[in-house]
Amino acid sequence: MKEQLKETIQYLKKKGASYADIRRTQRLSQNIKVKNGNVEALSQNEDAGFGIRVLHNGAWGFAASSILTPAEFKRIANLALEIAKASATTKKNEVVLAENEVYKDKYISKFRIDPFAVPVNQKLDLLIRSTEILMKHPKIKVAEASMDFFKTEKIFANTDGSLIEQSIIESGAGAMAVAVEGTDAQWRNYPNSHGGNLGTMGYEFIEELKLLDNMERVREEAIALLSAEPCPSLETTVIISSEQMALQVHESCGHPIELDRVLGTEISLAGGSFMTLDKLRKLRYGSSKVNITADATVEGALGTFGYDDEGVKAQRTDIIKEGLFVGYLTSRETAPVLGQKSNGTMRADGWNRIPLIRMTNINLEPGDANLEDLIADTKDGILLGSNKSWSIDDKRLNFQFGLEIAWEIKDGRLTGKVYKNPIYTGITPEFWNKCDAVCNRNYWKVWGVPNCGKGEPIQTMHVAHGTSPARFHKVQVGVSK
Amino acid sequence: MIGKDKIFSLLQPIIKKSPADQTEAVLINGSGGVSRYANSTIHQNMFETNSKVYFRVALGKKIGVASCNSLVKESLNSALNKAMEIAKNQKENPLFTGLPKKQAYKKVKTYNKKTANFTPLQRAKEIKKIFDKAAKYNFDVAGALSTGDAEIAVLNSNGVACYQPTSSAGINIVVMSDTSSGYSDGLSRDVDDIDTEKLAEIAIQKCLDSKNPQGLEPGEYDVVLEPTAVAALLEWMDYIGFGAKSFQEGTSFLSGRIGQKIMDEKVTFYDDGNDDKSLAFPFDFEGVPKQKVNLIEKGIAKGVVYDSLTANQDHTQSTGHALTPDSSDRALALNLFLKNGDSNVKKMIESVERGILVTRFHYINGLLDTNNALLTGMTRDGTFYIENGKIKHGIKNLRFTESMLRAFSNVVQLSKERKLVGSWSTDVGCISTPAVLIKNFRFTGKTEF
Repeated sequence: MKEQLKETIQYLKKKGASYADIRRTQRLSQNIKVKNGNVEALSQNEDAGFGIRVLHNGAWGFAASSILTPAEFKRIANLALEIAKASATTKKNEVVLAENEVYKDKYISKFRIDPFAVPVNQKLDLLIRSTEILMKHPKIKVAEASMDFFKTEKIFANTDGSLIEQSIIESGAGAMAVAVEGTDAQWRNYPNSHGGNLGTMGYEFIEELKLLDNMERVREEAIALLSAEPCPSLETTVIISSEQMALQVHESCGHPIELDRVLGTEISLAGGSFMTLDKLRKLRYGSSKVNITADATVEGALGTFGYDDEGVKAQRTDIIKEGLFVGYLTSRETAPVLGQKSNGTMRADGWNRIPLIRMTNINLEPGDANLEDLIADTKDGILLGSNKSWSIDDKRLNFQFGLEIAWEIKDGRLTGKVYKNPIYTGITPEFWNKCDAVCNRNYWKVWGVPNCGKGEPIQTMHVAHGTSPARFHKVQVGVSK
Repeated sequence: MIGKDKIFSLLQPIIKKSPADQTEAVLINGSGGVSRYANSTIHQNMFETNSKVYFRVALGKKIGVASCNSLVKESLNSALNKAMEIAKNQKENPLFTGLPKKQAYKKVKTYNKKTANFTPLQRAKEIKKIFDKAAKYNFDVAGALSTGDAEIAVLNSNGVACYQPTSSAGINIVVMSDTSSGYSDGLSRDVDDIDTEKLAEIAIQKCLDSKNPQGLEPGEYDVVLEPTAVAALLEWMDYIGFGAKSFQEGTSFLSGRIGQKIMDEKVTFYDDGNDDKSLAFPFDFEGVPKQKVNLIEKGIAKGVVYDSLTANQDHTQSTGHALTPDSSDRALALNLFLKNGDSNVKKMIESVERGILVTRFHYINGLLDTNNALLTGMTRDGTFYIENGKIKHGIKNLRFTESMLRAFSNVVQLSKERKLVGSWSTDVGCISTPAVLIKNFRFTGKTEF
């Protein structure tokens, strides 16, 4: 296959491509879902194909196919050229790519236990036992537990001379209890909402989640929510859990720092960004407690890889430094706008999609606070649990998050009072400037987000966020008036 | 396109030789292109040829599903063997009573050759029309034009053997000035139905009319929701409430409310996969004929859509709404309709004393409180203040947080004209909806642009 890729690259050079790359991707995925002790879904999928990206006469063309014959490689190469010529009929400026090193390398993600070698029965047993614990209350109408595994093999070649092979294994699991009474349904998830947690690791990641040890608590919290008061509507101090901070970082920092979005190329679907070029190194994004990095090298995190889909090596970049906005996520096409080289964030969710600037691991770096001290230092406030819903405007300013659960803080302690249906809302830079504490590394955890959407056709990317709980003052909780 | 005969001759021998008690194969094959444009140039221009074959096998009540995207016989046999292996290790599914049996399907026109064969250069020419129109106002444009074909076949060991070729064309246009933006979109099986210049003019006019938007405080306002905005609400309602799974789990806003009046009597939601005013398609991914299903009729909760497994749980029949075999969402309304009325957007605006016209919503989320269909989202690309029956000026975008049970109980008018809007969450779903005038719609936040 490597020879086929090299031959196609040579062919495109001869045909006049100023730049071309080709990606051959093969992905094996397995999804298992158990509901109320019965297997709801158990499927395995194999997906393979290749995509060719061509720069010709200063414009892009991309074509892809699942047919892996020499004739099809040639047909798709010609089609990519034809498409680039069609693009050129509307071009205003020539696409110019930033320089990049030439790599000939092989990257294999670290794992201890190959998840595809673990018997299905063993996986089912864990999931079924998890739901059985969740079901031990008549008001739990749905007890669901799931696992997802991915094995992705990529070969990348480009006209610069790079030839990169990557093999990446990802694993994840989670469980959910839905308590229902009348027309009220309340749910709790473990270890996080929307499918649990995932990492670039093997089956050892599932074992470390300790699903069974947490099912009883999840069940009881779901039941407690049925009789809980709705979260009041007020401006107050909030301490946001690590898992919700992951989504807060994702929506209000991760997306607006994508330089393609900033430059308007994602406007029609995903929108633009308030973090425009004039704000770089000037915008006071958050308080001095806020430090955010983009780091594709965090071991075991879902946004970790060896090279991006333009052949740029994975790296770590400062985004927010002591509250100041200092960096974007970039690509070879966009980085020259800043006079920089790409920081390696171009990824496609499959062989049949073009790479876009995507989050890697966008991390809120640990601060120096202890969670217990923060609670003790809060006279009136609310501790916000894991995410239930998310929404933000198309420049990433006005956000609103719904949570599964919240707990009352009074006179420096958790009173034990639980609130249902909590919501909080804000404007991104105003909100981050209200941050007065971020908890330390002991509370820092990496959360995999497997469903980050962007592009047309929509591409679903695996990204992650390392976060610890953080405190914010004067936040609007509940639905604002 | 592979064609019916080739697909059947490829899959039927594999099904015949399958060692499973029952075997089903679902094949999806297609080619298509998407030309995305921004900053008034085509910046992403793509073509894809892809296939997918799912095998679902049953050993008694044990079910296994495996899929691949290669049509090479060895790969297909390997996927079937994987499905067998999964089934052997599977637990029994008490709801499985067998794969569907052979049935008759309605004839619907779903394929247009010109649309299927539309070239990158033809797409570029259409997009250039938008650039030229917007350039007269010095406006910037962004969007996408997609064209392509697909063919879907479902075969099983009980005699089901159905095949349907399809085509589709879709466009979205955002036109931007320094202070405003406007939007329009189009969707059809036939690319000739997409009037690019007319759609560009609509988006340009909205951009012109909403220049220098003024701030408006959140609160309750009468709203005129154009069809694209209504469709975004309906898509979330479908996801959280119109499928049997959420209904049976008790999280749907229809759970426990069947037979009850939950909306205004002017409101009727139904799904009809055989109506060519939608992207019609005659069968589901189990090969069951699509049936018209009344979801909410004259404001009264009537029912949900089913696949075979969820239908068995409620001791009823599948309505022909199964998703692909690997989906745990089971069934969704993929050809959703909101029944039209006799009004139009002009009349609606004239009847509003103080209100808002919304072109489009952005980033709606419906997981806040699914039992009450509580949705939140932002307006974008053309939001206007209405006063004394006239549009006064553009306004900065607002956030709404509103129960759809309440909103559709406050419907005052529905337009006669309906529009087809594509689904962002599924490749095959669409919504046909009129514009709607709703009283006292709740806006709960604002933004800076």
